[in-house]
Amino acid sequence: MNLRTAALPAGAVVAAAVVAPPLALRDRLPDPMAIHWGPGMVPDNAASFSVHLIMMAALWGLLWLGLVAAARRAVDSRPGRVSWWALFSGGALFAILISATTLWANLDAPVWTDARLDPLATAAVVILPLAVAVLSGYLGRGEPDPPAYETQPPRLRLRSGERAVWVSRISNPWPLIISGAGAAVLFVLGTLEMTGFVRMSSIAAVLPALVVVLLVGLFASSLSARVSEDGLVLAFGPFGWPVRRIRLDKIHHAHVEERYPSQVGGWGLRGLPGRTTIMLRGGECLILTYHSGGRLGVSIDDAERGAALINTLIAERTAA
Amino acid sequence: MLLTLDLNDARPLHEQVAAAIRRAIGEGHYVPGDRLPPARDIAAALGINSNTVLRALRELRDEGLLEFRRGRGVSVSARADGRALLRERARELLDEARKYGYRREDLITLIEELA
Repeated sequence: MNLRTAALPAGAVVAAAVVAPPLALRDRLPDPMAIHWGPGMVPDNAASFSVHLIMMAALWGLLWLGLVAAARRAVDSRPGRVSWWALFSGGALFAILISATTLWANLDAPVWTDARLDPLATAAVVILPLAVAVLSGYLGRGEPDPPAYETQPPRLRLRSGERAVWVSRISNPWPLIISGAGAAVLFVLGTLEMTGFVRMSSIAAVLPALVVVLLVGLFASSLSARVSEDGLVLAFGPFGWPVRRIRLDKIHHAHVEERYPSQVGGWGLRGLPGRTTIMLRGGECLILTYHSGGRLGVSIDDAERGAALINTLIAERTAA
Repeated sequence: MLLTLDLNDARPLHEQVAAAIRRAIGEGHYVPGDRLPPARDIAAALGINSNTVLRALRELRDEGLLEFRRGRGVSVSARADGRALLRERARELLDEARKYGYRREDLITLIEELA
């Protein structure tokens, strides 16, 4: 049985553990019920029973869906397995505990303002899932990964007196579409504010997030890469800015790998420094290995020739 | 797209760029319908003016190798095939023949002898 077929029933059990107890104890809960507690464990926010139930189901449901989708490729690498197991176990326990503590605090309270939350329960909701995530990530780590490549990195044959450059570009329309949607929401909110339907304060709450979505979407929509004697230059977005330049003398070698968003944790700039991937679409990626041992992956078309040119230029430089 | 320029080539720069693109297409790096990187990117990589690259791209369009489409950029024409590579090789052969003192007619005779 593979991870994906195992994740489906296991996730369903977790989903049942999240939503079944509130449904069973509905008669003993206030409606609306307290869902958030401020300083001193005083409830400061409430929601109706159905909203709370949907929120709880969505919390686990979205994570579960993502994990099921990622299960097929996550098993291929150790970081993938560790993060998959950590997210699955930690996420499941977090969802169950947050549902259970909310239920416990609200149980038999006449109105939501009387719901009292035990500070210990809050600590448990944070600490226990983290501990379980770390432990299950460690247990699910599996065998260490084999070396990324075994053959010689690709090379080109250049004649003397020949100068070679490599240019490539990829674009992904989705970030641009999301940006467009963000801009539309901003426009609608602006219009509503001007006509007086919505107060400015509620717009101010979502404004930073919307602006970030807009900018990130714009910069992540396309990527152009070029290799010349100066090194590799990566330019993001339709305006070719921001730019990242990597000098040849920093690079040890380049090769090509297939990488997917499910392996590196999604789209965009992913991973920790030293093992970053710039992921705009799954598939062929140009992987640089630095002298420092760090690695950078870039999803780009025609990566094979780009890697070959980088290796050739490095060899020429060390020979000269 | 991998572009190679010969540093000893005496031809104008835009012809050299056109030759490099023709070679890249002829060697099968790009198939009909593929989009070329923007002229701006090619120019930046080669360290030359965008207009020089645009001039090269226009030459290749006039040869029928590339298609310019509004909003879709520049792509390899459906009619482009091995002819582009042969044309580039023939040009190189002609240059080489000139170096040894042979004229175009001599080369044609040579090819006819082979056939």
